Amino acid sequence: MAELLLDPQIRLWVFLPIVVISFLVGVVRHYVSLLIVSQKKSEITQVQDNQVLIRARMLRENGKYISKQGFYIRKHFFNHEETGYFKSQKRTTQPQNPMTDPTLMTEMLKGNITNVLPMIVIGGWINWMFSGFVTTKVPFPLTLRFKPMLQRGIELVSLDASWVSSASWYFLNIFGLRNVYSLVLGENNAAAEQDFAPGMMQLGGVGPTPPIDPKMAFKAEWEALEICHHDWALANVECDILGNQVVESSIQN
Amino acid sequence: MVKTKISKSGEITAYSEVAFRNNNALIEFCRTSACALSGCTAGIMGLTGLQGFAFYFCAVLGLWCLLLLKAGPSWEKYFVNRIHLLTNGFFGGLFTYVLFWTFLFGMVHVY
Amino acid sequence: MSRNLYRNLTILGLLSLFHTAYSAAKHRSYLRLKEQENGTLPLDIILQAVISLIIAMIGIVNTSGEFKEISATKNLERKSWETLRNVPSFYVFNHRGKALSPFYEGGISN
Repeated sequence: MAELLLDPQIRLWVFLPIVVISFLVGVVRHYVSLLIVSQKKSEITQVQDNQVLIRARMLRENGKYISKQGFYIRKHFFNHEETGYFKSQKRTTQPQNPMTDPTLMTEMLKGNITNVLPMIVIGGWINWMFSGFVTTKVPFPLTLRFKPMLQRGIELVSLDASWVSSASWYFLNIFGLRNVYSLVLGENNAAAEQDFAPGMMQLGGVGPTPPIDPKMAFKAEWEALEICHHDWALANVECDILGNQVVESSIQN
Repeated sequence: MVKTKISKSGEITAYSEVAFRNNNALIEFCRTSACALSGCTAGIMGLTGLQGFAFYFCAVLGLWCLLLLKAGPSWEKYFVNRIHLLTNGFFGGLFTYVLFWTFLFGMVHVY
Repeated sequence: MSRNLYRNLTILGLLSLFHTAYSAAKHRSYLRLKEQENGTLPLDIILQAVISLIIAMIGIVNTSGEFKEISATKNLERKSWETLRNVPSFYVFNHRGKALSPFYEGGISN
Protein backbone atom coordinates (compact mmCIF):
# COMPACT_ATOMS: atom_id res chain seq x y z
CA MET A 1 0.00 0.00 0.00
CA ALA A 2 1.51 3.26 -1.04
CA GLU A 3 1.78 5.52 1.98
CA LEU A 4 0.39 8.95 1.47
CA LEU A 5 1.88 11.78 3.43
CA LEU A 6 -0.76 14.26 4.50
CA ASP A 7 -0.11 17.73 5.74
CA PRO A 8 -0.62 17.96 9.53
CA GLN A 9 -2.44 21.23 8.92
CA ILE A 10 -5.23 19.22 7.34
CA ARG A 11 -5.62 17.39 10.61
CA LEU A 12 -5.94 20.61 12.55
CA TRP A 13 -8.11 22.58 10.14
CA VAL A 14 -10.19 19.96 8.35
CA PHE A 15 -10.26 16.63 10.13
CA LEU A 16 -10.87 17.85 13.65
CA PRO A 17 -13.34 20.64 12.78
CA ILE A 18 -15.57 18.21 10.91
CA VAL A 19 -15.85 15.98 13.95
CA VAL A 20 -16.56 18.91 16.23
CA ILE A 21 -19.07 20.46 13.85
CA SER A 22 -21.03 17.32 13.25
CA PHE A 23 -21.16 16.60 16.95
CA LEU A 24 -22.23 20.10 17.90
CA VAL A 25 -24.84 20.21 15.16
CA GLY A 26 -26.45 17.16 16.68
CA VAL A 27 -26.46 18.72 20.12
CA VAL A 28 -27.87 22.01 18.85
CA ARG A 29 -30.53 20.19 16.90
CA HIS A 30 -31.56 18.33 20.01
CA TYR A 31 -32.08 21.53 21.94
CA VAL A 32 -33.77 23.35 19.07
CA SER A 33 -36.26 20.56 18.65
CA LEU A 34 -36.87 20.67 22.39
CA LEU A 35 -37.62 24.36 22.00
CA ILE A 36 -40.02 24.23 19.12
CA VAL A 37 -41.76 20.96 19.73
CA SER A 38 -45.24 21.46 21.01
CA GLN A 39 -46.96 19.29 23.52
CA LYS A 40 -49.70 17.36 21.87
CA LYS A 41 -52.96 18.54 23.30
CA SER A 42 -55.74 16.02 23.45
CA GLU A 43 -59.32 17.07 23.41
CA ILE A 44 -61.59 16.03 26.20
CA THR A 45 -64.15 14.36 23.97
CA GLN A 46 -61.43 12.31 22.35
CA VAL A 47 -60.11 11.08 25.67
CA GLN A 48 -63.65 10.33 26.78
CA ASP A 49 -64.36 8.34 23.63
CA ASN A 50 -61.21 6.33 24.05
CA GLN A 51 -62.02 5.50 27.63
CA VAL A 52 -65.55 4.49 26.72
CA LEU A 53 -64.27 2.23 23.99
CA ILE A 54 -61.85 0.61 26.41
CA ARG A 55 -64.63 0.09 28.92
CA ALA A 56 -66.87 -1.51 26.29
CA ARG A 57 -64.11 -3.86 25.29
CA MET A 58 -63.47 -4.83 28.88
CA LEU A 59 -67.16 -5.55 29.30
CA ARG A 60 -67.15 -7.79 26.27
CA GLU A 61 -64.15 -9.72 27.43
CA ASN A 62 -64.73 -9.96 31.13
CA GLY A 63 -68.50 -9.62 31.33
CA LYS A 64 -68.90 -13.26 32.20
CA TYR A 65 -67.51 -12.64 35.64
CA ILE A 66 -70.19 -10.21 36.77
CA SER A 67 -73.76 -10.99 37.46
CA LYS A 68 -76.33 -11.04 34.72
CA GLN A 69 -78.00 -7.91 35.97
CA GLY A 70 -74.72 -6.07 36.20
CA PHE A 71 -73.80 -7.09 32.69
CA TYR A 72 -77.06 -5.96 31.17
CA ILE A 73 -77.03 -2.65 33.05
CA ARG A 74 -73.63 -1.92 31.58
CA LYS A 75 -74.64 -3.09 28.15
CA HIS A 76 -77.71 -0.95 28.35
CA PHE A 77 -75.55 2.05 29.17
CA PHE A 78 -73.59 1.56 25.97
CA ASN A 79 -76.10 0.12 23.56
CA HIS A 80 -79.60 1.30 24.39
CA GLU A 81 -81.43 2.46 21.28
CA GLU A 82 -82.15 5.98 22.55
CA THR A 83 -80.02 6.66 25.58
CA GLY A 84 -77.05 4.38 25.03
CA TYR A 85 -73.68 6.05 24.78
CA PHE A 86 -72.85 4.69 21.36
CA LYS A 87 -76.22 5.70 19.99
CA SER A 88 -76.72 9.10 21.56
CA GLN A 89 -73.25 10.54 21.02
CA LYS A 90 -72.92 11.97 17.58
CA ARG A 91 -69.37 12.44 16.50
CA THR A 92 -68.42 14.07 13.28
CA THR A 93 -65.82 12.46 11.13
CA GLN A 94 -62.39 13.97 11.62
CA PRO A 95 -60.65 15.28 8.55
CA GLN A 96 -58.37 12.52 7.37
CA ASN A 97 -56.22 14.43 4.96
CA PRO A 98 -53.19 15.86 6.77
CA MET A 99 -52.92 18.65 4.24
CA THR A 100 -56.21 20.10 5.39
CA ASP A 101 -55.35 19.85 9.06
CA PRO A 102 -53.19 22.83 10.00
CA THR A 103 -51.77 21.32 13.19
CA LEU A 104 -50.48 18.32 11.32
CA MET A 105 -48.96 20.62 8.76
CA THR A 106 -47.04 22.58 11.38
CA GLU A 107 -45.86 19.39 13.03
CA MET A 108 -44.50 18.17 9.73
CA LEU A 109 -42.91 21.50 9.04
CA LYS A 110 -41.19 21.46 12.41
CA GLY A 111 -39.90 17.98 11.77
CA ASN A 112 -38.49 19.12 8.48
CA ILE A 113 -36.92 22.19 10.00
CA THR A 114 -35.09 20.25 12.66
CA ASN A 115 -34.14 17.25 10.56
CA VAL A 116 -33.85 17.93 6.89
CA LEU A 117 -32.86 21.57 6.77
CA PRO A 118 -29.70 21.27 8.90
CA MET A 119 -28.71 18.21 6.93
CA ILE A 120 -28.86 20.08 3.68
CA VAL A 121 -27.42 23.33 4.94
CA ILE A 122 -24.56 21.94 7.01
CA GLY A 123 -23.84 19.23 4.48
CA GLY A 124 -23.66 21.78 1.70
CA TRP A 125 -21.54 24.08 3.80
CA ILE A 126 -19.11 21.29 4.70
CA ASN A 127 -18.94 20.33 1.06
CA TRP A 128 -18.15 23.87 0.04
CA MET A 129 -15.82 24.71 2.90
CA PHE A 130 -13.78 21.54 3.14
CA SER A 131 -14.07 20.26 -0.39
CA GLY A 132 -11.47 18.06 -1.95
CA PHE A 133 -9.36 17.02 1.00
CA VAL A 134 -8.18 13.51 1.65
CA THR A 135 -8.66 13.53 5.37
CA THR A 136 -8.01 10.13 6.80
CA LYS A 137 -7.65 6.46 6.23
CA VAL A 138 -9.80 3.73 7.69
CA PRO A 139 -7.55 1.25 9.45
CA PHE A 140 -8.87 -1.76 7.60
CA PRO A 141 -8.76 -2.70 3.93
CA LEU A 142 -11.89 -2.16 1.88
CA THR A 143 -12.94 -3.29 -1.52
CA LEU A 144 -13.31 -0.98 -4.47
CA ARG A 145 -17.07 -0.89 -4.07
CA PHE A 146 -16.65 1.44 -1.13
CA LYS A 147 -14.75 3.99 -3.20
CA PRO A 148 -17.70 6.13 -4.25
CA MET A 149 -19.05 6.01 -0.72
CA LEU A 150 -15.86 6.98 1.07
CA GLN A 151 -14.30 9.25 -1.52
CA ARG A 152 -17.04 11.63 -2.40
CA GLY A 153 -15.60 14.76 -3.89
CA ILE A 154 -12.25 13.40 -5.02
CA GLU A 155 -12.15 11.42 -8.18
CA LEU A 156 -8.81 9.67 -8.12
CA VAL A 157 -8.77 6.30 -9.76
CA SER A 158 -5.49 5.09 -8.33
CA LEU A 159 -6.23 6.04 -4.74
CA ASP A 160 -6.67 3.14 -2.38
CA ALA A 161 -10.25 2.57 -1.28
CA SER A 162 -9.53 2.95 2.40
CA TRP A 163 -8.78 6.66 2.14
CA VAL A 164 -11.63 8.90 3.16
CA SER A 165 -12.48 12.29 1.74
CA SER A 166 -13.71 15.17 3.82
CA ALA A 167 -17.35 15.07 2.74
CA SER A 168 -17.55 11.36 3.39
CA TRP A 169 -15.89 11.80 6.75
CA TYR A 170 -18.71 14.16 7.66
CA PHE A 171 -21.33 11.58 6.72
CA LEU A 172 -19.49 8.85 8.59
CA ASN A 173 -19.55 11.06 11.64
CA ILE A 174 -23.26 11.72 11.38
CA PHE A 175 -24.04 8.05 11.18
CA GLY A 176 -21.61 6.93 13.81
CA LEU A 177 -22.26 9.58 16.42
CA ARG A 178 -25.84 8.48 16.91
CA ASN A 179 -24.96 6.25 19.83
CA VAL A 180 -22.82 8.95 21.32
CA TYR A 181 -25.76 11.36 21.29
CA SER A 182 -27.79 8.98 23.36
CA LEU A 183 -24.83 8.80 25.70
CA VAL A 184 -24.46 12.54 26.04
CA LEU A 185 -28.02 13.79 25.75
CA GLY A 186 -29.85 10.92 27.35
CA GLU A 187 -32.30 8.51 25.86
CA ASN A 188 -35.00 9.50 23.40
CA ASN A 189 -33.24 12.59 22.17
CA ALA A 190 -34.08 14.24 18.91
CA ALA A 191 -30.59 14.07 17.47
CA ALA A 192 -30.44 10.29 17.46
CA GLU A 193 -33.68 9.66 15.67
CA GLN A 194 -32.90 11.42 12.48
CA ASP A 195 -34.18 10.11 9.26
CA PHE A 196 -31.99 10.30 6.21
CA ALA A 197 -34.62 9.99 3.53
CA PRO A 198 -36.10 13.45 3.01
CA GLY A 199 -38.56 12.12 0.45
CA MET A 200 -40.00 9.66 2.92
CA MET A 201 -40.07 12.35 5.53
CA GLN A 202 -42.74 14.38 3.85
CA LEU A 203 -44.99 11.43 3.30
CA GLY A 204 -45.30 10.14 6.77
CA GLY A 205 -43.69 9.25 10.00
CA VAL A 206 -43.14 12.74 11.29
CA GLY A 207 -46.58 13.92 12.15
CA PRO A 208 -48.60 12.24 14.86
CA THR A 209 -50.79 9.43 13.71
CA PRO A 210 -54.20 10.79 12.80
CA PRO A 211 -56.81 10.02 15.44
CA ILE A 212 -59.10 7.14 14.72
CA ASP A 213 -62.50 8.06 13.48
CA PRO A 214 -64.75 7.84 16.53
CA LYS A 215 -67.88 7.28 14.50
CA MET A 216 -66.57 4.14 12.88
CA ALA A 217 -65.09 2.90 16.14
CA PHE A 218 -68.40 3.44 17.91
CA LYS A 219 -70.25 1.55 15.26
CA ALA A 220 -67.86 -1.39 15.35
CA GLU A 221 -67.91 -1.53 19.12
CA TRP A 222 -71.70 -1.27 19.15
CA GLU A 223 -72.00 -4.21 16.81
CA ALA A 224 -69.55 -6.29 18.77
CA LEU A 225 -71.33 -5.57 22.00
CA GLU A 226 -74.72 -6.22 20.47
CA ILE A 227 -73.89 -9.80 19.59
CA CYS A 228 -72.24 -10.38 22.94
CA HIS A 229 -74.44 -12.21 25.41
CA HIS A 230 -74.05 -12.87 29.04
CA ASP A 231 -72.46 -16.18 29.69
CA TRP A 232 -72.22 -16.58 33.42
CA ALA A 233 -68.84 -18.13 34.09
CA LEU A 234 -69.29 -18.51 37.81
CA ALA A 235 -72.43 -20.62 37.72
CA ASN A 236 -70.86 -23.60 39.40
CA VAL A 237 -68.49 -21.67 41.54
CA GLU A 238 -69.76 -23.10 44.81
CA CYS A 239 -69.08 -26.62 43.67
CA ASP A 240 -65.68 -25.69 42.30
CA ILE A 241 -64.52 -24.00 45.42
CA LEU A 242 -66.09 -26.07 48.16
CA GLY A 243 -65.85 -29.40 46.43
CA ASN A 244 -68.81 -31.44 45.34
CA GLN A 245 -69.38 -33.30 48.58
CA VAL A 246 -70.03 -30.31 50.76
CA VAL A 247 -72.58 -28.92 48.38
CA GLU A 248 -74.31 -32.23 47.91
CA SER A 249 -74.51 -32.80 51.61
CA SER A 250 -75.95 -29.36 52.16
CA ILE A 251 -78.54 -30.01 49.48
CA GLN A 252 -79.49 -33.25 51.16
CA ASN A 253 -79.93 -31.53 54.43
CA MET B 1 -45.57 -2.30 34.53
CA VAL B 2 -45.12 -5.99 35.17
CA LYS B 3 -43.99 -8.55 32.70
CA THR B 4 -44.29 -12.23 33.29
CA LYS B 5 -42.32 -15.08 31.89
CA ILE B 6 -42.85 -18.75 32.27
CA SER B 7 -39.61 -20.54 32.98
CA LYS B 8 -38.74 -24.03 31.87
CA SER B 9 -39.90 -25.58 35.07
CA GLY B 10 -43.34 -24.07 34.54
CA GLU B 11 -42.86 -21.44 37.19
CA ILE B 12 -44.21 -17.99 36.49
CA THR B 13 -41.87 -15.18 37.31
CA ALA B 14 -42.96 -11.59 37.32
CA TYR B 15 -40.53 -8.89 36.32
CA SER B 16 -40.82 -5.23 37.03
CA GLU B 17 -40.75 -3.35 33.76
CA VAL B 18 -39.28 -0.19 35.27
CA ALA B 19 -36.33 -1.97 36.81
CA PHE B 20 -35.87 -3.88 33.60
CA ARG B 21 -35.67 -0.72 31.53
CA ASN B 22 -33.39 0.93 34.04
CA ASN B 23 -30.96 -1.95 33.81
CA ASN B 24 -31.07 -1.94 30.04
CA ALA B 25 -30.39 1.79 29.84
CA LEU B 26 -27.48 1.32 32.21
CA ILE B 27 -26.00 -1.45 30.11
CA GLU B 28 -26.47 0.60 26.98
CA PHE B 29 -24.59 3.47 28.60
CA CYS B 30 -21.74 1.18 29.59
CA ARG B 31 -21.65 -0.40 26.18
CA THR B 32 -21.48 2.84 24.23
CA SER B 33 -18.79 4.21 26.51
CA ALA B 34 -16.79 1.03 26.34
CA CYS B 35 -17.04 0.96 22.54
CA ALA B 36 -15.89 4.55 22.27
CA LEU B 37 -13.03 4.02 24.71
CA SER B 38 -11.82 0.80 23.16
CA GLY B 39 -12.08 2.39 19.72
CA CYS B 40 -9.85 5.19 20.95
CA THR B 41 -7.36 2.72 22.34
CA ALA B 42 -7.29 0.69 19.17
CA GLY B 43 -6.71 3.84 17.16
CA ILE B 44 -3.88 4.93 19.44
CA MET B 45 -2.20 1.56 19.28
CA GLY B 46 -2.49 1.69 15.52
CA LEU B 47 -4.23 -1.63 15.06
CA THR B 48 -5.22 -2.36 11.51
CA GLY B 49 -7.48 -4.82 9.84
CA LEU B 50 -8.43 -7.95 11.69
CA GLN B 51 -6.37 -7.02 14.73
CA GLY B 52 -8.75 -4.17 15.39
CA PHE B 53 -11.84 -6.32 15.16
CA ALA B 54 -10.27 -8.90 17.43
CA PHE B 55 -9.57 -6.09 19.85
CA TYR B 56 -13.21 -5.07 19.71
CA PHE B 57 -14.21 -8.59 20.57
CA CYS B 58 -11.81 -8.60 23.50
CA ALA B 59 -13.18 -5.29 24.70
CA VAL B 60 -16.76 -6.54 24.58
CA LEU B 61 -15.76 -9.65 26.47
CA GLY B 62 -13.99 -7.53 29.03
CA LEU B 63 -17.04 -5.34 29.41
CA TRP B 64 -19.14 -8.42 29.92
CA CYS B 65 -16.83 -9.61 32.66
CA LEU B 66 -16.90 -6.21 34.31
CA LEU B 67 -20.68 -6.08 34.22
CA LEU B 68 -20.96 -9.53 35.73
CA LEU B 69 -18.41 -8.55 38.33
CA LYS B 70 -20.50 -5.50 39.15
CA ALA B 71 -23.68 -7.53 39.38
CA GLY B 72 -21.98 -9.91 41.74
CA PRO B 73 -22.73 -13.57 42.24
CA SER B 74 -26.48 -13.06 42.25
CA TRP B 75 -26.77 -11.78 38.69
CA GLU B 76 -30.10 -13.51 38.29
CA LYS B 77 -31.65 -10.78 40.38
CA TYR B 78 -30.78 -8.22 37.72
CA PHE B 79 -30.83 -9.91 34.32
CA VAL B 80 -32.94 -12.55 32.73
CA ASN B 81 -30.19 -13.89 30.57
CA ARG B 82 -26.43 -13.66 30.88
CA ILE B 83 -25.69 -14.34 27.26
CA HIS B 84 -27.97 -11.58 26.05
CA LEU B 85 -25.85 -9.22 28.07
CA LEU B 86 -22.96 -10.13 25.83
CA THR B 87 -24.67 -10.25 22.48
CA ASN B 88 -27.21 -7.42 22.66
CA GLY B 89 -26.16 -4.43 20.63
CA PHE B 90 -22.98 -6.09 19.44
CA PHE B 91 -23.17 -4.65 15.94
CA GLY B 92 -24.60 -1.31 17.00
CA GLY B 93 -21.56 -0.91 19.21
CA LEU B 94 -19.30 -1.95 16.37
CA PHE B 95 -20.25 1.16 14.45
CA THR B 96 -19.29 3.44 17.31
CA TYR B 97 -16.11 1.48 17.74
CA VAL B 98 -15.14 1.82 14.08
CA LEU B 99 -15.81 5.53 14.10
CA PHE B 100 -13.61 6.18 17.11
CA TRP B 101 -11.01 3.78 15.86
CA THR B 102 -10.83 5.62 12.53
CA PHE B 103 -10.83 8.97 14.28
CA LEU B 104 -7.93 8.26 16.62
CA PHE B 105 -6.08 6.30 13.96
CA GLY B 106 -6.33 9.31 11.71
CA MET B 107 -5.28 11.69 14.44
CA VAL B 108 -2.28 9.68 15.58
CA HIS B 109 -0.99 7.60 12.74
CA VAL B 110 -2.02 8.98 9.38
CA TYR B 111 -0.51 12.42 9.60
CA MET C 1 -17.83 8.13 48.44
CA SER C 2 -16.83 5.14 46.35
CA ARG C 3 -18.77 6.59 43.45
CA ASN C 4 -16.56 9.65 43.64
CA LEU C 5 -13.52 7.41 43.62
CA TYR C 6 -14.72 5.67 40.49
CA ARG C 7 -15.44 8.96 38.77
CA ASN C 8 -11.91 10.07 39.51
CA LEU C 9 -10.73 6.75 38.15
CA THR C 10 -12.61 7.40 34.91
CA ILE C 11 -11.11 10.85 34.57
CA LEU C 12 -7.66 9.46 35.30
CA GLY C 13 -8.09 6.79 32.66
CA LEU C 14 -9.25 9.30 30.08
CA LEU C 15 -6.37 11.65 30.80
CA SER C 16 -3.92 8.80 30.60
CA LEU C 17 -5.46 7.71 27.31
CA PHE C 18 -5.09 11.23 26.01
CA HIS C 19 -1.47 11.31 27.08
CA THR C 20 -0.92 8.00 25.34
CA ALA C 21 -2.41 9.40 22.16
CA TYR C 22 -0.06 12.37 22.38
CA SER C 23 3.02 10.27 22.92
CA ALA C 24 2.01 7.89 20.15
CA ALA C 25 1.61 10.81 17.76
CA LYS C 26 5.00 12.16 18.83
CA HIS C 27 6.59 8.79 18.34
CA ARG C 28 5.02 8.55 14.92
CA SER C 29 6.45 11.89 13.85
CA TYR C 30 9.82 10.88 15.30
CA LEU C 31 9.77 7.72 13.23
CA ARG C 32 8.91 9.76 10.20
CA LEU C 33 11.84 12.09 10.84
CA LYS C 34 14.10 9.09 10.98
CA GLU C 35 12.53 7.98 7.68
CA GLN C 36 11.77 4.65 9.20
CA GLU C 37 8.23 4.29 8.03
CA ASN C 38 6.80 1.05 9.31
CA GLY C 39 8.04 0.92 12.84
CA THR C 40 5.74 -0.28 15.58
CA LEU C 41 5.01 1.58 18.76
CA PRO C 42 7.23 0.88 21.76
CA LEU C 43 5.88 -1.46 24.36
CA ASP C 44 5.39 1.12 27.09
CA ILE C 45 2.95 3.16 25.00
CA ILE C 46 0.88 0.10 24.17
CA LEU C 47 0.91 -0.98 27.79
CA GLN C 48 -0.14 2.46 28.92
CA ALA C 49 -2.97 2.47 26.39
CA VAL C 50 -4.31 -0.90 27.50
CA ILE C 51 -3.98 -0.14 31.20
CA SER C 52 -5.66 3.22 30.91
CA LEU C 53 -8.45 1.62 28.88
CA ILE C 54 -8.99 -0.92 31.62
CA ILE C 55 -8.96 1.76 34.30
CA ALA C 56 -11.43 3.92 32.41
CA MET C 57 -13.73 0.99 31.73
CA ILE C 58 -13.76 -0.03 35.38
CA GLY C 59 -14.53 3.55 36.30
CA ILE C 60 -17.32 3.88 33.72
CA VAL C 61 -18.99 0.62 34.64
CA ASN C 62 -19.01 1.52 38.29
CA THR C 63 -20.09 5.13 37.92
CA SER C 64 -23.02 4.30 35.71
CA GLY C 65 -25.34 3.55 38.61
CA GLU C 66 -26.79 0.63 40.42
CA PHE C 67 -28.75 -2.21 38.91
CA LYS C 68 -32.28 -2.58 40.10
CA GLU C 69 -33.66 -5.94 40.94
CA ILE C 70 -36.02 -6.97 38.20
CA SER C 71 -38.16 -9.26 40.28
CA ALA C 72 -41.52 -7.55 40.68
CA THR C 73 -42.16 -8.94 44.11
CA LYS C 74 -38.95 -7.50 45.47
CA ASN C 75 -40.45 -4.11 46.18
CA LEU C 76 -43.49 -5.58 47.83
CA GLU C 77 -41.55 -7.89 50.07
CA ARG C 78 -40.15 -5.13 52.14
CA LYS C 79 -43.53 -3.60 52.96
CA SER C 80 -45.26 -4.51 56.15
CA TRP C 81 -48.89 -5.36 56.52
CA GLU C 82 -49.51 -2.02 58.21
CA THR C 83 -48.30 -0.14 55.14
CA LEU C 84 -50.38 -2.13 52.75
CA ARG C 85 -53.53 -1.98 54.83
CA ASN C 86 -53.32 1.76 55.19
CA VAL C 87 -55.81 3.09 52.67
CA PRO C 88 -56.41 6.79 53.18
CA SER C 89 -59.50 6.80 51.00
CA PHE C 90 -61.34 4.78 53.57
CA TYR C 91 -60.57 6.98 56.54
CA VAL C 92 -63.78 7.93 58.28
CA PHE C 93 -63.85 10.71 60.79
CA ASN C 94 -67.56 11.11 61.04
CA HIS C 95 -68.30 8.38 63.51
CA ARG C 96 -69.98 8.09 66.88
CA GLY C 97 -66.81 8.84 68.77
CA LYS C 98 -67.55 12.52 68.32
CA ALA C 99 -70.34 12.20 70.87
CA LEU C 100 -67.66 11.73 73.53
CA SER C 101 -66.27 15.18 72.90
CA PRO C 102 -67.03 17.74 75.61
CA PHE C 103 -67.77 20.28 72.92
CA TYR C 104 -70.18 18.09 71.03
CA GLU C 105 -73.37 20.02 70.49
CA GLY C 106 -75.32 18.24 67.84
CA GLY C 107 -78.15 16.09 69.02
CA ILE C 108 -80.57 13.97 67.15
CA SER C 109 -81.59 16.96 65.16
CA ASN C 110 -78.14 17.13 63.61
